[in-house]
Amino acid sequence: MKILYLDTSSSFLYCAIVKDSILVGELKLKLERELSSLALSEISNLFLVTSTSAIDIDKIIVVNGPGSFTGIRVGLTIAKTFAWTLKKDITTISSLDAMAISCQEKYDFYIPIIDARRGYVYACIYDKNYNQVLKNQYISLDTLKVTLDNLPGTYTFISNDKFENLNNVKSYDPDFVKIVNHFKDKENINPHGVDALYLKLTEAEEKQEEQNND
Amino acid sequence: MKDVYILGIESSCDETSASIVRNGTDEIATVVLSQIDIHTNFGGVVPEIASRHHLKNITMVLEECLNKANMTMKDIDAIAVTYGPGLIGSLLVGLEAAKTLAFVHNKPLIPVHHIAGHIYANNLIKTMEYPLIALVVSGGHTDLVYMEDEFKFQHIGGTLDDAVGECYDKVARVIGVGYPGGPVIDQMATLGKHTYNLPLPLDDNSYNFSFSGLKSAVINLVHNEEQRGNIIDKEDLATSFQEVVVDIITKKTLKALKEFKISRLILAGGVAANKGLREKLSTVCVENNIDCSYPPIKYCTDNAAMIATAGYFLYKQGKFSNLELNAKSSVELK
Repeated sequence: MKILYLDTSSSFLYCAIVKDSILVGELKLKLERELSSLALSEISNLFLVTSTSAIDIDKIIVVNGPGSFTGIRVGLTIAKTFAWTLKKDITTISSLDAMAISCQEKYDFYIPIIDARRGYVYACIYDKNYNQVLKNQYISLDTLKVTLDNLPGTYTFISNDKFENLNNVKSYDPDFVKIVNHFKDKENINPHGVDALYLKLTEAEEKQEEQNND
Repeated sequence: MKDVYILGIESSCDETSASIVRNGTDEIATVVLSQIDIHTNFGGVVPEIASRHHLKNITMVLEECLNKANMTMKDIDAIAVTYGPGLIGSLLVGLEAAKTLAFVHNKPLIPVHHIAGHIYANNLIKTMEYPLIALVVSGGHTDLVYMEDEFKFQHIGGTLDDAVGECYDKVARVIGVGYPGGPVIDQMATLGKHTYNLPLPLDDNSYNFSFSGLKSAVINLVHNEEQRGNIIDKEDLATSFQEVVVDIITKKTLKALKEFKISRLILAGGVAANKGLREKLSTVCVENNIDCSYPPIKYCTDNAAMIATAGYFLYKQGKFSNLELNAKSSVELK
């Protein structure tokens, strides 16, 4: 079974082709502002150098957020168009799932966090079996820290963002085989239904909600 | 000669659209999914919301278009997509979808300038002949373009600030008649009489336009009248506003036609659906022996048929892009 994995939810392009638990090829490129222009070109090169044809892919696992709104949409548009037009299986996972599962050291709890600015983060808490103890959410870092006081065991943060006054942060380096193996049997969804996990309303919607509540 | 089928994709603002056009003239199928009802709640297009909806809709729109045409991707010769100008987040969804289709089906990818698309919408009605002057008027554009020949654009003038459609939306908001303002004000203008004295904006020797002063004049007029306790007659104000807008656009368009010695005018863009503007330009063109054409309303607003049509001419010229094609919020028409 050949699986295409794609994550463009940060400034990195993370992409891999995994066949039966073996890494056929991978991309870990910090593209930043060039992500939208270069992502598909890099993916097509990956197919070329691994002698993979698009038709050979059996399933796509795509990260649907949280993270950079634009980045998420780039990857999701590529993945859902690919899956729809070639009638391929597709499923989505969260960027926080991928971060927790890739951690190479053993802890009782894994806490992937992504900087959402203004003192807020996208975060989730997983136990050692990757069950969500605290679901994916947009939360203030201070509130998250309070939650951690009650965690019964060892834990680590996982992030590629920089946070002041935050210790025990492991950097995130995706382990593609581990991620793909963990999610390869996750239920497929209709490509048309593939959508982003923003975890946050747009500013206009937030303002409208505030006005409605007043 | 073999027929050429171009799949066009347009997502530069708040319409997700796909279309298949044969040989740059025959529309086989078009699907337009408008978000207008969503953005009406916010008084205008919210870029982030537009991008989110494009992502939700893109593959459904593509599928419906192919189904409507009873075609598959195998029948498509190339994929044409709007790469700019427009809202960057919106553009990116259409662009990434187009790039992905080009990649997995190994089809040529054709980048189309949004304004070129609006202009070439006219080719769906009758074969365009050159030279001509194109007047492109919409929510994002107010441009006068001289075309010496096929796909040879010379931008001779444009707005220095607000686009004309944007000005309609703002005036509509000030007088409280909702969004989008263009069709409402156009309709109201037929019911009122020219009562209010508004300045003719940027009435100079150039081909440029400026609507921000006119917009401010309307805002000030409304506020001043309100402070005096006078009730504004909205229909009369709509008539006065539209008359000024139509006058200046007609004046500069006619100046361009005369100075470039051109006898063909084409209208394009969402505001080309404005009845007041169509009527005035048609009358002036008849008086001056100028052939004036404008597309039906479905081709005036954003749609992918115009992108597929423009894409056909680029296909003939072999103007393809690689997969590094990026979206551009602003880009010159060349």
